[in-house]
Amino acid sequence: MAAAALREQLNALLSSMFSQGLVDEQFQQLQMLQDEGGTPGFVAEVVTLFSDDAERIIAEIATLLEQPIVNFDKVDAFVHQLKGSSASVGAQKVKFTCMQFRQFCQEKSRDGCLMALAVVRNDFYDLRNKFQTMLQLEQQIQAYDPKQQ
Amino acid sequence: MAPAEEAGGEFPVGMKVLVVDDDPTCLAVLKRMLLECRYDATTCSQATRALTMLRENRRGFDVIISDVHMPDMDGFRLLELVGLEMDLPVIMMSADSRTDIVMKGIKHGACDYLIKPVRMEELKNIWQHVLRKKFNENKEHEHSGSLDDTDRTRPTNNDNEYASSVNDGADGSWKSQKKKRDKDEDDGELESGDPSTSKKPRVVWSVELHQQFVNAVNHLGIDKAVPKKILELMNVPGLTRENVASHLQKFRLYLKRIAQHHAGIANPFCPPGSSPKIGSLGGLDLQALAASGQIPPQALAALQDELLGRPTNSLVLPGRDQSALRLAAVKGNKPHGEREIAFGQPIYKCQSNAYAAFPQSSPTVGGIPPFSAWSNNKLGMADSTGTLGSMSNSQNSNIVLHELQQQPDAMLSGNLHSLDVKPSGIVMPSQSLNTFSASEGLSPNQNPLMLPSQSSGLLAAMPPSMKHEPVLATSQHSSSLLGGIDLVNQASTSQPLISTHGGNLPGLVNRNSNVVPSQGISTFQMANNPYLVSQNSVGVGSKQPHGVLKTENSDSLSRSYGYIGGGAPLMDSGLLSSQSKNTQFGLLQNQDDLTGSWSLLQNIDSYGNTIGLSHPGSSSSSFQSSNVPLGKFPDQGRGKNHGFVGKGSCIPSRFTVDEIESPNSLSHSIGSSGDIMSPDVFGFSGQM
Repeated sequence: MAAAALREQLNALLSSMFSQGLVDEQFQQLQMLQDEGGTPGFVAEVVTLFSDDAERIIAEIATLLEQPIVNFDKVDAFVHQLKGSSASVGAQKVKFTCMQFRQFCQEKSRDGCLMALAVVRNDFYDLRNKFQTMLQLEQQIQAYDPKQQ
Repeated sequence: MAPAEEAGGEFPVGMKVLVVDDDPTCLAVLKRMLLECRYDATTCSQATRALTMLRENRRGFDVIISDVHMPDMDGFRLLELVGLEMDLPVIMMSADSRTDIVMKGIKHGACDYLIKPVRMEELKNIWQHVLRKKFNENKEHEHSGSLDDTDRTRPTNNDNEYASSVNDGADGSWKSQKKKRDKDEDDGELESGDPSTSKKPRVVWSVELHQQFVNAVNHLGIDKAVPKKILELMNVPGLTRENVASHLQKFRLYLKRIAQHHAGIANPFCPPGSSPKIGSLGGLDLQALAASGQIPPQALAALQDELLGRPTNSLVLPGRDQSALRLAAVKGNKPHGEREIAFGQPIYKCQSNAYAAFPQSSPTVGGIPPFSAWSNNKLGMADSTGTLGSMSNSQNSNIVLHELQQQPDAMLSGNLHSLDVKPSGIVMPSQSLNTFSASEGLSPNQNPLMLPSQSSGLLAAMPPSMKHEPVLATSQHSSSLLGGIDLVNQASTSQPLISTHGGNLPGLVNRNSNVVPSQGISTFQMANNPYLVSQNSVGVGSKQPHGVLKTENSDSLSRSYGYIGGGAPLMDSGLLSSQSKNTQFGLLQNQDDLTGSWSLLQNIDSYGNTIGLSHPGSSSSSFQSSNVPLGKFPDQGRGKNHGFVGKGSCIPSRFTVDEIESPNSLSHSIGSSGDIMSPDVFGFSGQM
């Protein structure tokens, strides 16, 4: 059944996300809240919020780092925000990257920050893609069997 | 509300939780989790809006969960304010798990500190904080309530009781009374109602009424002030001895707390005798503040001395007058209702503003330099761990910044954001409570907090102008010396700290020179407010640049003090603006003798420690030092509730001493100026 195949695909995706450390048990908790709590769109909602927010923060950081004189405190504040968001959603890798990023901020190293920003951006985009795939799969599966999920 | 009732019922199901966080992801996740726990969750992404919601509906929520880093207001300040004004349990949360930040949160009076990501298990337990708080309050209330009832039979007990740190009792009664009072907003309404302990009709201690009260106490002398005589002197129809007794109790606590603040702040300056009680000022939550009555007069004196005498000390509270302090403390413990004299609250509020102004001031201001840091907060008065300020969610400790006087401009102009200083009830108990004549020390510039002629007693701190509800959640930071002046409330911006100039606001001596947390810090008058020395500590401005006192973002002052302005933007009015410079919260001004003026304010960090205000010497330093971090004084580690808070319950950081994030910063600000107090200065020395 197509639904089964989709399910399998989804499971494989999730499984790889976990094993690669992209997401952690916090994300699992969110999934559980959705499944057991009977709120189907919950994970989608949270993931979307996170994605939008992270996008914005990354853009802000990029702007700050482009300034002739970098305000590292502000950068740090943004990174901290991103860290909080990613932690709340369970985006583990992004969270860790943020932690490293903060180090560079403390050191007031523009180069270090730029590098960390690149890594964060990368990790975030990667995760966002996977989230999008996950949501799509879920929607498709739902289409097959609305009761499920 | 008896815990039993709640426990027996469906509690904690349906417990009303307010979540404040600028991160939408986290808000969504938390909300879902809270719903899963069967709580009633409300989310809010702006702290200022949350505060408004809370003010409009105090009983609408049982517990608050707030993020630490928010764009519009520092989480600690919100904490202080909430603690001061509403006395609700506040749980802090952050992705930042650094111990010093966590400590800061606790010092500011947070019931708990959660690290993101917050797990369900942790949320499931938050109801315990609510229950615990209620339980403590009830206990207190009954304790104090029974006191009231038995007042007749033991008229002289009051003094004794208050003399000792009856924090618990005071807190309880304060809290419960405060809560009750919240419900009853009529100004000056006296209800001689049934004598039942907990359901006594609450008398609303308006500014005028409080002023009369303070006058009476001054007249009698704090040590000799017994309810019966006070009642006679006041000659207010409808007022019962019990009303007076309970009010007196609070006032004493307030004074004590202020004293402690001073002591704490004045640590270095004040005689080593200061007892550590002040420590409780730090971060004590409102409850604690209520309990704070512990500020030993010496602390107050010390604080005052510090404030007054030492330019370097930022908030020296001329705590000379112990009794005044006590009175202030008593009063300051909990901000009474909106208009009520928030003893400490206004201070907080003001402080922050006032201090904000300081930043520019040179440290000479009696150590107010740290205030500059506070400048963020309107020092209206003095105030969330940071917190002696703060309000809170602080109170704003009314650390009167004498020092501020000197720099009035600096301080006031600063952004005193709402001084979170909780009205620590800084009472400037100058030697004879009466001495607070306006002419005393308080320089004209003095604190804006001074209630302009409102004087109705220190309570006035809450001058009607303060319109809003006393932001100074007295509970928390009561650092505000405004004996109960709800400067904090005022912070809501509208109220400029009404500094009573010259007026004899007994008790509310807003000496905050710095604190200008306009809101309400109506600084106590500079002059005779024997009790209310709004010492809003300076600078409680939370937003201050970190340099100053610093503790984490907002200087403790601001934080602690509840925010004089009522939130960052809130504050401004009043204290800062009005008085401008002198926020000195009343107390500060009198350097020489402020018997009472405690300039504590301010610095009383949420921990209740008056930061910076250490009044050198003169007062008997009951301040025990250390806890008076009025503003945001570097957390010397004290972090605890100094004195006032005592209770152990979440102490709104009013007195909490803000931890100094960069140890240097604060100390620099404080210490760098030379005066500022090195951790000792704050009186914490040791005590904390």
